[in-house]
Amino acid sequence: MTTPLLASTRRVFELTLGQMLWARRTTLLALAAAAPVLLALVTRLTLSAGSAVVQINGRQIGSEAVFNTAMTLLYLRFIVPAIGVFYGTSLIADEVEDRTITYLFVRPIPRGAIVLGKYLAYVLCVTAVVVPSAAVVFVVMVPFPDMAPLFGSFVRGLGVLALGLAAYGAVFLWAGTLFRRPLVGGLVFVFGWEQLAAVLPGYVGRLTIAHYLQADTISVAVLLAATVAALWLAMRTIERREYLLER
Amino acid sequence: MPIHDQGYRRYAGERIVRARRWLVIARAGVIERLRERRFLALMLMAWLLFVVRAVQIYIGTTIVRASFFAPSEDTFHGFLNQQRLFVFFITIYAGAGLIANDRQANALQLYLSKPITRHDYIAGKMATLALFLIAVTWVPAMLLLALQVLFSGSLEFVSSHPRLVPAITITSLLQVALASMTMLALSSLSRSRRFAAMLYALVTIFAGAVERVLQTATGAAGWVLLSPQNTLAAITDALFGIEPDIPVTVAFIALVAVMAACVAVLERRVRAVDVVA
Amino acid sequence: MIVSTDHLSKWYGQVSGLNDVTIAVPRGVTGLLGPNGAGKSTFMKLVTGQLRPSAGTLRVFDEPIWGNPSQYRRLGFCPEQDAFYEHMTGRDWVQALAGLHGMDDAAAAAAATRALATVDLLDVADRKIGGYSKGMRQRVKLAQAMVHDPELLVLDEPLSGMDPLMRRRTIRLIRQWADGGKSVIVSSHVLHEIEAMTATIVLMHNGRIVAEGDVHQIRALIDAHPHRVSIRAADPRALAKRLLVDDDVSSFRFEGDALLVETGNPDSFYSRLTEIAASGDAGSIEEVTSPDDNLQAVFSYLVKQ
Repeated sequence: MTTPLLASTRRVFELTLGQMLWARRTTLLALAAAAPVLLALVTRLTLSAGSAVVQINGRQIGSEAVFNTAMTLLYLRFIVPAIGVFYGTSLIADEVEDRTITYLFVRPIPRGAIVLGKYLAYVLCVTAVVVPSAAVVFVVMVPFPDMAPLFGSFVRGLGVLALGLAAYGAVFLWAGTLFRRPLVGGLVFVFGWEQLAAVLPGYVGRLTIAHYLQADTISVAVLLAATVAALWLAMRTIERREYLLER
Repeated sequence: MPIHDQGYRRYAGERIVRARRWLVIARAGVIERLRERRFLALMLMAWLLFVVRAVQIYIGTTIVRASFFAPSEDTFHGFLNQQRLFVFFITIYAGAGLIANDRQANALQLYLSKPITRHDYIAGKMATLALFLIAVTWVPAMLLLALQVLFSGSLEFVSSHPRLVPAITITSLLQVALASMTMLALSSLSRSRRFAAMLYALVTIFAGAVERVLQTATGAAGWVLLSPQNTLAAITDALFGIEPDIPVTVAFIALVAVMAACVAVLERRVRAVDVVA
Repeated sequence: MIVSTDHLSKWYGQVSGLNDVTIAVPRGVTGLLGPNGAGKSTFMKLVTGQLRPSAGTLRVFDEPIWGNPSQYRRLGFCPEQDAFYEHMTGRDWVQALAGLHGMDDAAAAAAATRALATVDLLDVADRKIGGYSKGMRQRVKLAQAMVHDPELLVLDEPLSGMDPLMRRRTIRLIRQWADGGKSVIVSSHVLHEIEAMTATIVLMHNGRIVAEGDVHQIRALIDAHPHRVSIRAADPRALAKRLLVDDDVSSFRFEGDALLVETGNPDSFYSRLTEIAASGDAGSIEEVTSPDDNLQAVFSYLVKQ
């Protein structure tokens, strides 16, 4: 009798959470998430001191606009896809490379539970670090009187962040179950293809995840669908595939 | 009839000159990489832009009505800037595991127990990466220049742009030196090539994004020094005759400081023994 | 039969890992013997469902094992690779893996403690695996394999890295396990270790089964094959004169200060040699080695048949 999927997933989730909390790359993740906070502090202090006036195309812009710039440039264009690539690809690929996946494969659990459990641990870890970081940046950057009217779009923005992390993570988790060395391919996709597609005409831009990092209904639906599809494919792949561990 | 000794015989041939022992490591690294089809595919992809530019140069040089395609200094400047993306990918693919894999396999002890020094080891590893990076920066850029001369049938373009050859060469060398030293230093910090790759992405792309946000927020151009890549871009601009936002001397000193830091890291990390507290 | 295969083959691209293996592994302890590259690990990975057969069939507990995780409850695997979650303590690691068998936290903790006590790791159970010695790492691997009390243990080179005392303990543990009604498939390339654990052996070479049966039959094969012994002595000629008296020496020759003897009855020869050495009649005997007393000689002999 196999341990039920949910119970197995929970066990793998706990195991992976412990691994992720200890890994040096999680420290790196925290540093990457802390950098925008430091940036925000520096910017706010500079603006408060009145020593700089922010202008874009000759127009003076407020701190909300700076916040939106930071969100786009730092979070959506770098942190979210980079985390998705680095963490998503490593969830299964690292276990295969380290040859520890044997211990999971010889347990009476569906192999799909390994994928699900690791994915959920990833989502919890990265969301717990990145979303609060963005929230702190908002609090630092946006003056208190302006917070209330902006709060709705801010919350939607956080939702997009979380969904983006989930979608990228799922897609690259699937890549990690398929390929032995998925990292460079993932980097080419994110920093090559997605950047290129953004400037190409027509519908080409829609063939990226980055295009859907927006707060409208269709984008959210596409991200959710991509996440679910990628997870399903990852579970299918790991059930059917042989993993040769010889170095 | 003399009976020949079939036992072990000491090597009595020529030994490679002391100063060239790093070449052995470099050669082994290059051959190992070239055996990987995925890497070859990546290198081929890195030459796609060259093909596009070559066609552009051909059209601009040979068809009078298409003279707007004619090459200028900006063509080569733009080409080298665009190749930065492939420099990034190739650096990660070929460079992340250069020292990290050896640390993981405890191979540093094996290397350094041979009659080579740490400097031979580092030079060999750096040369492995540098060779591939030169192959996607300086070589295609110079080839484009050569094609321009070939298609136009005269040296007029080169002689009327005397700074082009030194600009291409220095830009490429700085790009290659920065990428390979940074990647090697980061690779020496870990036993995991994936972690080294993450660190490199942080230093390269994230630093650039942070710098752009700070620049937007404060209007101060000096933040560019936070990003080694953007600092290099400022120097490249100056080399190609474009006024950079910060003084070139300052940018150059900052770049040298980054490379010096990389050398310091490598000096500390590349050792035959690991001190375990 | 606990494991049965029918024309089982496994290829890695162009390389054959296992070649047309038909075998029935009985309950009890079965030793898989073979040199490196013989196919032992491939066979074990097939038995534990890590690999899918390229051809033929494989049944464990009378069911196909690939893609059948429910059967993993009944087997435990100790792989050859030295791979762990280094940041975890031995206890946490074994307990976590026990939890994947459906045990609740308390049961998993108790099972982990029992398993760690069995392999004599309780005193270091709360130390990180990254700080374990090679022998401890091997033992914690054994602990995770047996934590859920499986019916079949599959052990790939379990004694590797262990000191002699721990080897004896592990061998005793395996025998106890079998006495308790469990089955064990254990691999090694060292004959006397397998001999100490079981009498049932499967000999593998180049992905094929070369021989199977009782270990004494294997030993007899070695004995039937002319056995070479190299003896370094102070006076090899005097020693040769003494040894030639009996017909258990089939031939000899001198090599420097050593005497190389071929014998068809090694037991009788060795006991005579011991008597001669003890009496000192033929001078002192400095070294006795046998280039033949190993599996390679057996394989060479069997493969040539």
